Amino acid sequence: MKRIRPSRWSGQLLQARCGAGIAAARQPFLLAARPQSTSSAAAHDSSTTTPIDSPPPPLPAPSFARAAQSAKLAALHARLSLSKKIPLQTLARALVTPSADANPNFNNTNLAYLGSTIVNYHVLEYLVCKWPRLPMAILYEALRAYAGDASLQQVARRWGVESAAAPGEEVDPGLLQWKAGEEQLVNTRWGYVRSDKAPAWRRGLSSRVVLDNDFGDQVSSIEAEKPEFDTLQSEAFGSVVQAVIGAIYTHCGREEVKAFVKSHILSRELDPSTLFEFKLPTRELAMLCAREGFEAPVARLESETGRLSRTPVYVVGIYSGKEKLGEGAGPSLDVARRQASMASLKAWYLYSPGNKVRVPSDMMEEGAKPWKAPYIDIGEII
Amino acid sequence: MDLRSLLRPASQLLTPLRCLSSAPRAAVTTVFTSSRGHKTTARTKRALKISPHDSFLPSRTTEFPAADSIIYNPPASEASPQHTPFIFLPRNDPRRLAITRLRSTASNPTAYSSEASSEQLPPEMRYKRRQPKYNLTKEHIEEMRRLRNEDPLTWSVQKLARKFECSTVFVQMAAPAPPEHLKWLKGKLERKMERWGPKKTAAREDRKRRAEMLYRGEL
Repeated sequence: MKRIRPSRWSGQLLQARCGAGIAAARQPFLLAARPQSTSSAAAHDSSTTTPIDSPPPPLPAPSFARAAQSAKLAALHARLSLSKKIPLQTLARALVTPSADANPNFNNTNLAYLGSTIVNYHVLEYLVCKWPRLPMAILYEALRAYAGDASLQQVARRWGVESAAAPGEEVDPGLLQWKAGEEQLVNTRWGYVRSDKAPAWRRGLSSRVVLDNDFGDQVSSIEAEKPEFDTLQSEAFGSVVQAVIGAIYTHCGREEVKAFVKSHILSRELDPSTLFEFKLPTRELAMLCAREGFEAPVARLESETGRLSRTPVYVVGIYSGKEKLGEGAGPSLDVARRQASMASLKAWYLYSPGNKVRVPSDMMEEGAKPWKAPYIDIGEII
Repeated sequence: MDLRSLLRPASQLLTPLRCLSSAPRAAVTTVFTSSRGHKTTARTKRALKISPHDSFLPSRTTEFPAADSIIYNPPASEASPQHTPFIFLPRNDPRRLAITRLRSTASNPTAYSSEASSEQLPPEMRYKRRQPKYNLTKEHIEEMRRLRNEDPLTWSVQKLARKFECSTVFVQMAAPAPPEHLKWLKGKLERKMERWGPKKTAAREDRKRRAEMLYRGEL
């Protein structure tokens, strides 16, 4: 592995992009007053009254000028095998959460939002092509299992990201700057806010698709209850992963970021068969067979043992005509039949065209083979 | 008979004495004789010495010594939902085409015979399922509604279903009871549930929880 020499990098790479975040032209006064961070308007007013020769207030997060000296940052850069195009300063910025520094010009909000859209896009296109028959509710949960905050926190922990005891100017910039404060500025949420008058039953799956955020979660204008410590922590750690991905996209482009998402997020294993929860599996299977024009499902007793004992085992198979759909075992005839119905339904929902599915973004590569339409299912069983 | 019943208490009186007197002698004898008999060895060693199943042994079909052979002997296990059954495969899936080709070749032992009778399949289970008859007309349904409205107590769901030869679900949909009757029924059930003891209540809750776990695939 080559040693990273930030001192040899060109000045162009080290400069922060002037268009990043909110345009600098919008807050010239604030930026002139405190080039490294923001303070609220009231704090700024109080600083004008103080004499000029007093020391400036400490920055909420470490200065980017110290990023090149941080061993932790260089180690993280090398560990992730990031391209040399990504400066250490950007990596340092990815570690500053909005809870430490509220200024979007110096925290990772914008990078994290960019990264989250990229991660969600790649995971969703993979899921839809890999398991085309997954119901929408399961698809949301599968997306959350890959790209949710809790999973991204695990990814960040495996990268070796550690949080500082408290954010501040003197802290090593290679540590995650995060604190569980009272007021959290979350500006990476995207979705429609529903009116408070809408009754609870209006929250169907179709409205979740249209109105809510990427994971089908409701976006509320008011934070009714204070989020828990664990939620805030996973959000902070998850934002690091998203911000690093956003930085890779900004500096290196589409191909690199796709390879990175594939190797760090899509490589994680998920068994979607554990996500299902059925209500009336026998009826659902009967409706599926009626919809698809198969013969009505019939349960057949394949084998049994110990019918008169305390622990009998029955193996039941579900057949449609002469074709077997699924098989289940249980301690009673009824339980075994329901297990078999659930196994058949899972076999329907978890149909996969293969392990090496092509996704639409594969067509962006040069010299890609002509696109063949993937399998598209007609929809859920109603 | 009388003599024996008389003698037994006397012998029971004597036994503790006998045990006391023979205890030191018994301790001496156990030193020389092993407590493990032939039967124990046979049961724990010899009877358990079973030759492995043929499927665990290397293949003998080729000349000895055979070349490297793979022993494939997976344990019996539940089928994975990742294996899509034949009729669930979409029309243009390569697996479907391959299985169709496999089934059409008659020489193959796994060939699917379309004329195979249902006798070769496992026996059908008996359970309640939908068997539509479509035997009711508009007049029948009106009559059913009239009866249910006139005297819901006499013309219960079960009774109407038996009279019109349809399912109880159909009766509930086509001729729902008047709201007062439903309210009365609900109150009756609630009064009944109040009388349940802690054991019955807990058992009912457990059953509900077990069903939920079953549907989540945790059981």
